[in-house]
Amino acid sequence: MSIIYVLIPIAIIIVAVAIVIFFWAVKTNQFEDLDRQGYSILFDDDLPPEEKKLAEQRKQLQESKVDKSQTPHGRD
Amino acid sequence: MAKHDCYHCGLPIAGSDDGKFTTVILGQQRDMCCPGCLAVAEAIVTNGLEDYYQFRTEPAQKSDDGILETLDKLKVYDDPSLQEEFVFEEGQDKQIQLTLEGITCAACGWLIEKQLSKVEGIKQVAVNVQERRALVTWSPFQIKLSQILSTLKRIGYVGSPFHPDEHEASYKREQKTFLKKLGLAGIMTMQVMMLMTGLYFDWFGAIELETRQYFYWVALTLTTPVVLYSGSTFYVGAANALSARTVNMDVPVTLAIFGTYIAGIRSTVLEQGEVYFESICMFIFLLLLSRFLEHRSRHRAAQISANMMQYVPVSATKLLPDGSLTECLAKQLRIDDVVLVKPGETIPIDGVVIEGNAAVDESMLTGEFNSVRKSNNSTVYGGTVCQDGSLTIKVTQTLKNALVNQIVRLQASAMANKPKAAQIADNFSRYFVTAVLLISALTYGFWAYQGSDDAFWITISVLVATCPCALGLATPSALTCAMAKLNKQGILLKRADALEQITDIDTIALDKTGTLTQGKFTISNAWYADDVDSDSALSIARALESRSEHPIAKAFSEGIAFSDGVALSESSASSGSTDAIDSTVHKVTNFTVTPGGGISGEINDTLFSMGSAAFSVHESQLKLIEAFPSANVFLTVKGRIMAAYEVKDSLREDTQETLDILAASHTLAVLSGDTQQNVDALTAPLPISTAKGGLTPEQKYEAVQAMQQSGAKVMMMGDGINDAPVLASADVAIAVGNATDVAKTAADVILLGDQLLSVPELIRTAHQVKQKIRQNIGWSVGYNVLILPFAVSGLLSPWMAVVGMSLSSIIVVTNSTRLLSK
Repeated sequence: MSIIYVLIPIAIIIVAVAIVIFFWAVKTNQFEDLDRQGYSILFDDDLPPEEKKLAEQRKQLQESKVDKSQTPHGRD
Repeated sequence: MAKHDCYHCGLPIAGSDDGKFTTVILGQQRDMCCPGCLAVAEAIVTNGLEDYYQFRTEPAQKSDDGILETLDKLKVYDDPSLQEEFVFEEGQDKQIQLTLEGITCAACGWLIEKQLSKVEGIKQVAVNVQERRALVTWSPFQIKLSQILSTLKRIGYVGSPFHPDEHEASYKREQKTFLKKLGLAGIMTMQVMMLMTGLYFDWFGAIELETRQYFYWVALTLTTPVVLYSGSTFYVGAANALSARTVNMDVPVTLAIFGTYIAGIRSTVLEQGEVYFESICMFIFLLLLSRFLEHRSRHRAAQISANMMQYVPVSATKLLPDGSLTECLAKQLRIDDVVLVKPGETIPIDGVVIEGNAAVDESMLTGEFNSVRKSNNSTVYGGTVCQDGSLTIKVTQTLKNALVNQIVRLQASAMANKPKAAQIADNFSRYFVTAVLLISALTYGFWAYQGSDDAFWITISVLVATCPCALGLATPSALTCAMAKLNKQGILLKRADALEQITDIDTIALDKTGTLTQGKFTISNAWYADDVDSDSALSIARALESRSEHPIAKAFSEGIAFSDGVALSESSASSGSTDAIDSTVHKVTNFTVTPGGGISGEINDTLFSMGSAAFSVHESQLKLIEAFPSANVFLTVKGRIMAAYEVKDSLREDTQETLDILAASHTLAVLSGDTQQNVDALTAPLPISTAKGGLTPEQKYEAVQAMQQSGAKVMMMGDGINDAPVLASADVAIAVGNATDVAKTAADVILLGDQLLSVPELIRTAHQVKQKIRQNIGWSVGYNVLILPFAVSGLLSPWMAVVGMSLSSIIVVTNSTRLLSK
């Protein structure tokens, strides 16, 4: 059990770090707008143009596949 | 063709505009409702920001048609003397806070940031969607502020410079402190709880004394920052209350916290007795949570009202004695300066006309949009709009003393006299706290007298058990949930406690123009001569009126959406085929305006006149007019009547329904600036008990005060600048639809949509909230009373008291969140 004499102080240090990070986040306005940033991931504007084109082609390919796989059901 | 909605703003497309405005978005042809939306959508697509349409969750706001014309006016914002107030220097760069109109969902934030970051010279853009604000940093050598604003405007957002007031800044600071305290308390509670759970479950005594002691010391270390930092809110509150010789809820809280904490330290150091560190942490955390919720709802309200305080500078064209013209800001004008106002411009300041003749739209002051004719020696007021002809004005008042600003000042003083929401909770808590302290003292005295060792812990239990944490949460949690729900329905509350007051309202006062009515002219009735085809007559009328600036002309330009149920009597034409009109666009030549009379112009070499009976109808035909007495606009060719129209400001579609619902439980009164005759005509079919017309802003204000003095609780609904003072003085004020900024500032509730039916909904929700608050208070007080005997008799240990208190709080909060789903 003597391991807890080491582990608990380590836990306290980690908690202290977490609190420092939390305070930093509050101070730098990270909690100001909780709606906005969650959306950023949906836009692939961080991709270079060539890759964006590829991504779009892939998306279209996928869509056409989905369409095809759905058509038999549609005719039922 | 099936009716459908604008792809950009989601509003229905008028029949006549169907298929007129289209563009390709996301690989498909999309229809828009107006050139404004089309321009915005095209700008978004050409800038490669199409993704916006893919990911938005709400349709955009409809952009105004005049979007491109107003771009020029933004130049005023480049004036250095104006920028002084709003713009901060950031080294070489400049920085400004903008409030943004038109943000509907998170995708808007992305759209704005992308669009602006492409512009050369803009260093940094940060959009806050929740606050509807943006912080922009730019280099003044590369770009001007007006260019930034026009870039925003092109993609459909209106940015206005904005200066957060001190009040809001302090709210924001407090908000952050709260968040820090709450976060610290939360994290620490988890840690301490973890350690203590280990000890709780030591049923077989396997933990050595040494380990136990070690755990206590660790828990003490972790609890100390919570007590000293997170809990400080309560100690400051308690100290303030005591120095004001009164008590509040913070006093017993402080006693309980310090009592438990000091006793804990003592037990830890002396290695004997109980410790309740986890209870302290949880106690502080839950109490802070309730305070935080309450603060946040207030903060939000303050923020909304601050966004309303947009400052729109007015520029003026000054005529110098040597005959040259120069642009300046209205606030720089001195008395006796001479100002030139062109058609369509806003009159910058109060003054007297020295030359010219024009119709002036004074609706922002009087609420009535029938324009007023001004000629030599007439007085004109700043903020009103010159419609036709130009005016030369001699300034008689500086901007500070202008009529608009006088009304704003009247509003400020009315605000101060506003009846306060009864602070029942505060009074209640004072008695409650006194009782708690008394009972605790008696308990301690009794057990100490009995010689019990546990006297101290029993007293702490009493303090904790009776701590009205749930009671503190009862009201704010219900109000916060209701605000969130109403927000989704387009009802914005600036003041959360307005909801409590709404349930007491027995009288509703209404403004007429713009509130009950649509606030614009529409064709409500039409008659055509027997040998005239209604479509061709209307197309001639539209062609003529399209050249006119008069507000009546707008009724003709807006499709031909007659109010429902109006038959095109005395004509054989069918009303449906609107396409035929669009295809025949007439060319008007020799167009002339006769002020106060009407307009005339030649189409295909035939002279048509349009206007009042006296202006356009030949004497021999005047008899015919009697057949349709309510008509007020006539289309004639050589004095012979082709068509007659009744053009008026008609009721909103949902006015009748709304008032029928409201009349069931409230007394309705109309207070209008329009003539008594017009008011009576309009209100006759409505369930309204009193209707007063011809009132000035001051008289409206006095009328409501008189009602209040006779004991009525008054809710006022209005939209114009002239309603601002009366809105400010009413118990609850609602700004309707497209209300002016001043009215929005004065109001407690703002209806974002254009629907009056939100009002009964608001009242219904208010009643629900009241019921919820009662349930919550009933539960928490009931719990406290129930638990008290157990605490006093020593059956309840402090940790049980804390768990009970937490459960009670959770029940209250859960009960409140049920409001969201209703």
